[in-house]
Amino acid sequence: MNEALWYLSRATGVASIVLLTAVVVLGALVSGRRRPHGDQATVVMAVHRWISLGIVAFLLTHVATAIAETYVSIDWISALVPFTSGYETLWVGLGTLAVDVLVAVVVTSWWRHRIPERAWRAVHYAAYLLWPMALVHGLVLGTADEALLLGTTVLCGLVGVGAVLWRLLARPHHDRARRDVVLDQEWA
Amino acid sequence: MSTTTTADLVALLEASGLAGRGGAAFSTAVKVRAAHEHGAALIVNACDGEVGAVKDAHVVAHHLDALVQGARLVTAGRRRRSVRFAAHRGSATAEALHRAGLDVLDVPDRYVSSEETSLISLAGGGLARPMTKRRPFVTGGRDQTGRRVPATVVLNAETVWRIAQVAEHGPAWFRSFGTPEEPGPRLVALTGAVDRPGVLETEAGTPLADLLDAARPVRGWQHVVVGGLGGVLLAADDARAVRWTGADLARHGGSLGPGVVDVLDPGRCPLATVSSFLLYAAGETAGQCGPCMFGVPSVAEAWRRLVETPSRQGIDEVRAAAGLLPGRGACRFPDAVGRFAASALRVLEPHLAAHASGSCPTGRSRDRVRHP
Repeated sequence: MNEALWYLSRATGVASIVLLTAVVVLGALVSGRRRPHGDQATVVMAVHRWISLGIVAFLLTHVATAIAETYVSIDWISALVPFTSGYETLWVGLGTLAVDVLVAVVVTSWWRHRIPERAWRAVHYAAYLLWPMALVHGLVLGTADEALLLGTTVLCGLVGVGAVLWRLLARPHHDRARRDVVLDQEWA
Repeated sequence: MSTTTTADLVALLEASGLAGRGGAAFSTAVKVRAAHEHGAALIVNACDGEVGAVKDAHVVAHHLDALVQGARLVTAGRRRRSVRFAAHRGSATAEALHRAGLDVLDVPDRYVSSEETSLISLAGGGLARPMTKRRPFVTGGRDQTGRRVPATVVLNAETVWRIAQVAEHGPAWFRSFGTPEEPGPRLVALTGAVDRPGVLETEAGTPLADLLDAARPVRGWQHVVVGGLGGVLLAADDARAVRWTGADLARHGGSLGPGVVDVLDPGRCPLATVSSFLLYAAGETAGQCGPCMFGVPSVAEAWRRLVETPSRQGIDEVRAAAGLLPGRGACRFPDAVGRFAASALRVLEPHLAAHASGSCPTGRSRDRVRHP
């Protein structure tokens, strides 16, 4: 039984990082200057949103099984408060922090129509911290000795970085460019 | 009338029917009452922001004491409320206000910077660019970024001067000028190709021909712009036929606006003159909304192409581009440019036809485009 829990924890952890990477990639797609338009945008946006919510199910299982199995000692507190775990304090804490940030991102997105746009945006930018934290957490703790799983995590890292670079390196959108030119004029 | 309370003042303004003289012609009584209820600060707009406008300068130059008195009446009450006088930085008006020791809001010399919400933004330490009005800023509110904006009311300089006059002479005196719909004495600036440019004290209902005659337009004048960029182009015959009333001007798509009558130079091709107006407009975008950033320049560009090669298709392109502007920006600037371009298209149709057949009636088809 314990063994099953341990495997389940590992499996849901890897699934979470794969899904999280997919969300990051889709997010970079819909937020950047080269974002898709029309029907395409609606589909990409919907997939971005629903995968994010889907991750929560995998994460809950990942955390619950990590606590339940007894090979390593992680208690309920350290599932919520970062850096309180007796086992691998730093690396488990990184995962906990990632979960906390994800909860904040999901909650603010759920309430997006009721909170100021800039509050939502500020929290949403934290997703760019969340993802590498989860990635490092996975690399160090879980998959170090299994080539397939290690490869999965590394591949996730490469794909995610590629997507973010793709967003950042886009040439300025003509709308942004015009705004900036006008803003440089005398307005005060 | 030094003991006038705010309730008295609002009643007087209501009875007088005074409406804003900055162009929008909104009830001053309603604004002053709201300003009092919300303890709003006052900004007196003396920017003369419209192309060709000079009447705010006239009020500051000749009626400064009454202007200050009017501002005092609007902000009277138990709560202390600030009064600031907005004028373009470096203008003679700004200098006169500074010399009088008043609290002057120095505004950058930009078309959209003298718009009501631009002034409120600038007064709050922001940029002089229009803000989205989720509700009137006289009740206070928030800007686009969520920053709090204190309750502020903006009144045109002539309006504030008229408030002092209504308080002093009463509504009956005020209503003895103008029409029942547009009561009161009002200022009109006459400018452009006239021998005697200046500001006239007149009233609604006066034939526009009388105003024009007073300014002595140059011989052979053909077109006049009423209301600047926010107004319309009129042919001489139409201009001579209308009275100075909102209803008469509305038949041509115009309004009394901020009171500017600009006679176009008959020696210059009117297509080039309109092009100048539109190019100026294109350069005055605040860079915040699509219709202003891209729509206004596209109208100017469509007009430039039309002037270069007049065609039915070119006319349709200008009309289509101008038709896309109304009702979409944070402020009414794109609406105004769209209206102006549409009126120019209507009035200059014969002139365009002449160009299409190869000649300009002014004999100046290669006129350079200048900024107004």
